[in-house]
Amino acid sequence: MSGWLPKSAAGRRWLGLAPSYFIIGIFMLIPMIIMAVFSLLAPNPYGGVEPEFSTAAYVKLFFEYDLEDNLVFNPGYINIIFRSFQLSFGATILCLIFGFPVAYYITLQPEHKRNFYIYLITIPFWTNLLIRTFAWIIILGRGGVIETPLYALGIIEESLRMMYTDGAIAIGLTYSYLPLMVLPIYASLEKLDFRLLEAASDLYANRWEVMTKVVIPLCKPGIIAGCILVFIPCLGAFIAPNLLGGGKKLMLGSLVQFQFASARNWPFGAALSMLLLSAVVVVLIFYARSARKQAEAGQA
Amino acid sequence: MTTAIDIRGVTKIYNPNSERPVTALDNVSLTINDNEFFTLLGPSGCGKTTLLRLIAGFEQVSGGEIMLYDDEIENLEPNRRPVNTVFQHYALFPHMTVAKNVAFGLERLKKPGEEIKATVDRVLSLVKMKELGDRRPNQLSGGQQQRVALARALAPSPKVLLLDEPLSALDLKLRQAMREELKQLQKETGITFVFVTHDQEEALAMSDRIAVMSNGEVQQIGAPTEIYEHPVNRFVADFIGDTNFLDAEIVEVKDELVACKIGSQSMFEAANSGGHKVGDRVTLFLRPEKIRLSAAGQGSGADSRPGKIASMIYLGNQAAYTVDMGDGIELTAQARPREDGKMPHASGDDVTVQFSAHALRVLAQ
Repeated sequence: MSGWLPKSAAGRRWLGLAPSYFIIGIFMLIPMIIMAVFSLLAPNPYGGVEPEFSTAAYVKLFFEYDLEDNLVFNPGYINIIFRSFQLSFGATILCLIFGFPVAYYITLQPEHKRNFYIYLITIPFWTNLLIRTFAWIIILGRGGVIETPLYALGIIEESLRMMYTDGAIAIGLTYSYLPLMVLPIYASLEKLDFRLLEAASDLYANRWEVMTKVVIPLCKPGIIAGCILVFIPCLGAFIAPNLLGGGKKLMLGSLVQFQFASARNWPFGAALSMLLLSAVVVVLIFYARSARKQAEAGQA
Repeated sequence: MTTAIDIRGVTKIYNPNSERPVTALDNVSLTINDNEFFTLLGPSGCGKTTLLRLIAGFEQVSGGEIMLYDDEIENLEPNRRPVNTVFQHYALFPHMTVAKNVAFGLERLKKPGEEIKATVDRVLSLVKMKELGDRRPNQLSGGQQQRVALARALAPSPKVLLLDEPLSALDLKLRQAMREELKQLQKETGITFVFVTHDQEEALAMSDRIAVMSNGEVQQIGAPTEIYEHPVNRFVADFIGDTNFLDAEIVEVKDELVACKIGSQSMFEAANSGGHKVGDRVTLFLRPEKIRLSAAGQGSGADSRPGKIASMIYLGNQAAYTVDMGDGIELTAQARPREDGKMPHASGDDVTVQFSAHALRVLAQ
C-alpha cells in the first residue's frame, strides 16, 4: 500500500523533513545567499547591482574618501550600529521589566482566565505594526494625548519634546515587542511547580527571596528566550526608528531600509544586512551556550 | 507537660462567599505536646492536610486560634513561623544541589557560613545522605529525595516538624523501613512531629498519639492502643483495622456485661460500656483476631458456638475466613497457617467459634 515510501528508516525520516528543508531553503537560505553575493558587487546608481566584484560596500562601513581621495576612518556608521545595540538593549530590559510581572500575574489566574489573557496579549498582532506605531505619534507628539491634559492643568507651558528622541524609539520598540517577551516567560512560568514557592516560604524565604531564589532561576530559560526574541527584531527594526525617531536617529534596520529604498546603494544595504546577521548569530551562539550549560546542569 | 501546638476552635471554610462554601475544618480543637510524635489520621478529604497547612501558614484560618508554644501564629506569614514542612512530593528545588537545598532555610535565617556548612553536614549524615551532597534532586531515587526533604526541613531546627504524607510516594518495603527511621529520628532530635497520613498502619506504628479525623472534625484522640481497642464510634472502629459490626438490641443489663439479641434469636453477651438500657438498639464491634476458630467439636465452654466457613481469603501469613453463624450473622475471623503451610480450615468446614464477651464491645450508635 505504501510501496512508494523509502525502505530505510533514515530515508523515511528524510522524506518527513523534506518540506521543512524546502521552506528553509527557498525562503531563508537562497535570499541570504543573494544578499551575500550582492554585498560583494558594485552598485548600480538606478538601483540593483552591476555584475562586477567589489568590496567597496564593506569598506564604506568603516571608512570614507576625503577630498583628496584618501581613505579615512569614518565612525558615523559604527555609531549607528552602537546606538542600535544600545536602544535594543534598553528596549529588551524595558520589555523584561514590564513583561515579567504580566506573565507572572497571568500564571496565577485560574486556567480559563489564563487562556483569555494570553489571547488578549496576542490581539495587537492583528493590526499592522505601522499603524500601531503611528498611534504613538498621537500619544507622544506635540499637543498629543500626554501633553494636552498637562497643558490644561498648567503643569507644563511648552512642549516636552518627547517625539524624535531615543526615548521615543525605545518606547516604540518596547511596545512593539512586549508580547514576544510575555509569551515565552509565561510558557516557562506555567510549568513552574508552585509547591516550590510554598517550600521556599516555609524555609523562611520572604516574598523577594522566593522570587529571586526560586521563581526567576527556574524560569531563566523563558527569560533568556524572551530577551532574544525581543533583542533580535529590535536590532533590525526600522518602523519605530523611522516614525518615532524622525528618520534622524537612525538604527541599523532603518539604515538598511534607506539603502534599498532611497539611496539606491544595494551592495551597501546588503553589507549592512550581513553585519546585522552576524550580530544575530553572535547573540544566538551565546543563547545556545547558556541553554547547553543549563541542560548539563540537569534542568529542562 | 509542655504544649507545643494548641489548636483552639479552628474553622476553615473554602470559598466562603460563593454559592457552595466548603467547610474543610469545623471548630477543631486539639493540643499537641512537646516532643511528641502526633499523627493526624483520616480518609482523603477529612481535613487533616488542611489543618497541617494552617499550622504551616499556607492557608488562613476562617476562625479560631493556633498557638505555638504560647505564641499566637495563625496570622503570621509562613516564613515567620518556626515550623518546617516535609512535603508529600518533596518539593525539592530542582536548580540546586542537595547541599544547597538543605542550606536554603539556614541561609534565609542569615546564619554564619561555617555554621551552615556544619549543620548541612550533620543533618545529611543524620539521614544517611552525606555522600550525595553535590547531586541534583533529579539524580536521586524517590527514597533519597525523601531523605533530602527531611534533612532540609530539619536543618533549621524547627520547633515543630510538619510531615504531609511523606511516605505515600514510596514503595512498600521502603515505606516500612522509613517508618522506623522517622520514629528514630524523632527520638534523636527531640523535635515535635506532626504527621499526616491516611494509612492506619503507619499511624499505629509510629505515633505517640493519633487524632482520627473525618468530615472536618476530630473523632477521637488517643494513644494507638486506645484508638484500636476502644474506638469511640463506628467511624473510628471501621477506619482502623478490620472489624465485625453487628446490629443488636439490648435485652438485659448486668454489672460488667450486657446481654444482646442479634438477628432474630441469637443471644450474645458484650462488655458493658455504660449508659445502656434494655431495648436500646446498638452496634457491637468485634476485631477478627479476637475470634478463635477450631475444628467442630474440639472447642468447649460457654462461649463456644457452631459455625460454618463460608469463604476464605489466603494472605500468606494468615487467612481471613468468613464464618456463617446462622441466623443471618456472618463474622470475619483470622487463622494462621499450620507448620506445614496448610491452612487449618477450608471453605465449607464446620467449626467452633469462640470469643470472650469482653472482646465484643458496644459502640454508640
